Amino acid sequence: MGIRIALAGNPNCGKTTLFNALTGSNQFVGNWPGVTVEYKEGKYKGEKEVTIVDLPGIYSLSPYTLEEVVSRNYLIDERPDAIINVIDGTNLERNLYLTTQIMEVGIPVVVAINMMDVVEKNGDKINTGKLSEEIGVPVVEISALKNKGLSDIVNKAIDAAKEAKPQAPKHRFNGSVEHAFAHIEELCLHDIADENLQRWYSIKLFERDEKVQEKLGLSQEVISHIEKDIQSCEQELDDDAESIITGERYNYIGTIIGDCVKKAAVGLSSSDKIDRVLTNRWLALPIFALVMWLVYYISVTTVGTWATDWANDGVFGDGWHLFAIGSADYNDAAEEFAANQIIVDGYDVYVEENGTEPTGDFEYPVEDEETLEVTYETASLEDYEAAKAYVESNEEPDPANYGVWVPGVPVLVGNLLESLNVNEIVSGLILDGIVAGVGAVLGFVPQIFVLFIFLAFLESCGYMARVAFIMDRIFRRFGLSGKSFIPMLIGTGCGIPGIMASRTIESDRDRKMTIMTTTFIPCGAKLPFIAMVAGAIFGGASWVAPSAYFLGIFAIIVSGVMLKKTKLFAGDPAPFVMELPAYHWPTLGNVLRSMWERGWSFIKKAGTIILLSTIVVWFTTFFGFTADGFRMLAEDEIDMSILASIGKAFAWIFIPLGFGHWEATVASITGLVAKENIVGTLGIIYSASGDVYGAMNAAFTAASGFAFLAFNLLCAPCFAAMGAIKREMNSAKWFWTAIGYQCGFAWVIGLISYQVGKVFTGEGFTVGTIFGIAAICILIYGIFRKDKYKAN
Amino acid sequence: MPLVLAPAGQAQMIKKIGGQPEVRRHLEELGFVPGGYVTVISEIGGNLIVNVKESRIAVDKKLAQKVMV
Repeated sequence: MGIRIALAGNPNCGKTTLFNALTGSNQFVGNWPGVTVEYKEGKYKGEKEVTIVDLPGIYSLSPYTLEEVVSRNYLIDERPDAIINVIDGTNLERNLYLTTQIMEVGIPVVVAINMMDVVEKNGDKINTGKLSEEIGVPVVEISALKNKGLSDIVNKAIDAAKEAKPQAPKHRFNGSVEHAFAHIEELCLHDIADENLQRWYSIKLFERDEKVQEKLGLSQEVISHIEKDIQSCEQELDDDAESIITGERYNYIGTIIGDCVKKAAVGLSSSDKIDRVLTNRWLALPIFALVMWLVYYISVTTVGTWATDWANDGVFGDGWHLFAIGSADYNDAAEEFAANQIIVDGYDVYVEENGTEPTGDFEYPVEDEETLEVTYETASLEDYEAAKAYVESNEEPDPANYGVWVPGVPVLVGNLLESLNVNEIVSGLILDGIVAGVGAVLGFVPQIFVLFIFLAFLESCGYMARVAFIMDRIFRRFGLSGKSFIPMLIGTGCGIPGIMASRTIESDRDRKMTIMTTTFIPCGAKLPFIAMVAGAIFGGASWVAPSAYFLGIFAIIVSGVMLKKTKLFAGDPAPFVMELPAYHWPTLGNVLRSMWERGWSFIKKAGTIILLSTIVVWFTTFFGFTADGFRMLAEDEIDMSILASIGKAFAWIFIPLGFGHWEATVASITGLVAKENIVGTLGIIYSASGDVYGAMNAAFTAASGFAFLAFNLLCAPCFAAMGAIKREMNSAKWFWTAIGYQCGFAWVIGLISYQVGKVFTGEGFTVGTIFGIAAICILIYGIFRKDKYKAN
Repeated sequence: MPLVLAPAGQAQMIKKIGGQPEVRRHLEELGFVPGGYVTVISEIGGNLIVNVKESRIAVDKKLAQKVMV
């Protein structure tokens, strides 16, 4: 028969480190049913029969937070065979408060005093023998970080579980409180199934715990009878029932601890000294900015970009050079060849267009790969001769000739399919649907891992808790948490790790709000699109790109202020109070483990939705009804595709936004696969005329162009980011609420941009303008209306 | 006086904790009990980091005004 041991303890007591040390890689990580609280279970390394369950970190067994409810339901309903109560040795008094409650649930308990290495370093002494005698349970000194005392504590727990002698707490409350307990037991508890729970239930009923009243199915009569007992006790002791119990627990701990603990001289701990600097009122913000810059610089601009480019353009692109050897040489050679080739091509185009050869200097077009912008350069006849000679004497460089060239997955799969003579529909599905879909998921994974290393480090060294403290004043006003800054900063690089960084926010409400608003900030993939709109519609105006960022910040602030007054986020914001763990160096193992757990859960949970969505978009893009029936289409036949029909059917939605044509609609849909696809799609659609930018300029006015930009920046993000939202919300209802809100908000901002923008671009005041102004009024009302859910 | 006004570095005895029952309960769980001691470690714009029963707790100004020392 297997033995189940639960780990219980305060947050930051080192419980998770202990859990990892005990179970190694043999873990199952998930969620408690129906809530976003993490559930962890693992097999003990020493004995496979022993299952260890890591309960969430809690301060008490009261029913007020999700973590507490989950933990106590597990202890009361699932009845594990033993509990290891993990205690932070540097903070015995507060930690023992939970111990006094755990001992009341009638399950064998052993106490593990963790962080003994730190206690010894501080020069403090804990008399564990005496403590064990006082509280009546085995007490073991351990250090989870240094792997000391671990087998001892588990063996003691296994022994206790085998002996199965339920824990009877030694602690007795004040006489009149105990008297009330006796009454309550007599009244309604003498026939409950598990008599070990009697004391626990009577204490909870004394505290007027509604969840327990409900669970026991007490009648109103019994409840009012108990109420009389409670009230007489409250009168006698001149305090409310819960405070009586809390006060007595602390008094009891005070009496034990004096005999068991000898503190060395009190002074500022090294952690306090660090806090003097890092949370200093003048230095806190500059240091924070520096740390954030470092995280951003490494995980977004340098290592992160390198990792993403390698994954997207290398592994899921044409291929890559092993260890990057030869890459630079190849790029130089390829660039030089392309520069010459383009002059030769330009000459041929000139001849074709004019029928004669140029007699002097001639112009040739150069197209930017990312934004499709076309610029013109001038070449002389000598340039042409030189270029022609170069192109003729050199071959186009082949990356395989430089270093060790590893072909990308699409190339390998493509070659394989070709050698197998697979028909083009199947190969299209595999290459453009599945491989591209898997690539979209995995392409971001290296960057996510890089970022998660940083987050894990900041979290486990103790700085993350301080970040919340430093930034809280600013973000609290928008209904966000101090920790929301990190997801948003990361979101400027890529929304997916940004959304996943919201994990570090404890408050459920703040976390959901952060997830809903993080992708408003333009991510890296939106940049080519922004550049394209700026170039094609606004003649390369320099204000367009900054305006996209301001729009994102504006959207976050407005949404935060509006949403916190809605029913979704109703109620007073929780007052800010949190424990700050002492600073310490995390172990490499724990940092890597945290990185892996989060990254892997993204691949698993987000992967499915992304893969399915990309296949659907692939199918609708490449199939359609043509003159010769339903068939697969070539790339430039997109106007006959199912997607185009869908675009035509839904284009009316965007008429009030000024871009109610199927081209813009289709581009917005393909943008859901990846935002940079908007550029590619528009490129294909408008390529017929030969001048993409010119055709776009004709299709959009300044007002409708900005509306188009605003809508696509703010609406639902790409499927990969939506997958991350789904994973983090862990609730279909919240997922659709977030996506719905983002699209709705984007539409309204698009409407305002177009209708009000028209007035300023000289298109005059129309009926639509009234709607635009009305939309502004609604936003202003949403921001300034009274919060009816707020107390007072 | 409210905890916000307490000078840094000196242990103060907690006299009373006001405010909503849930908030008070949470503060008690964290070790803020009448009769116990609290020391302010650092302060930014009224928000405090304090030492209570050997743990470091961050509290915002609003809450720090409810703890009387």
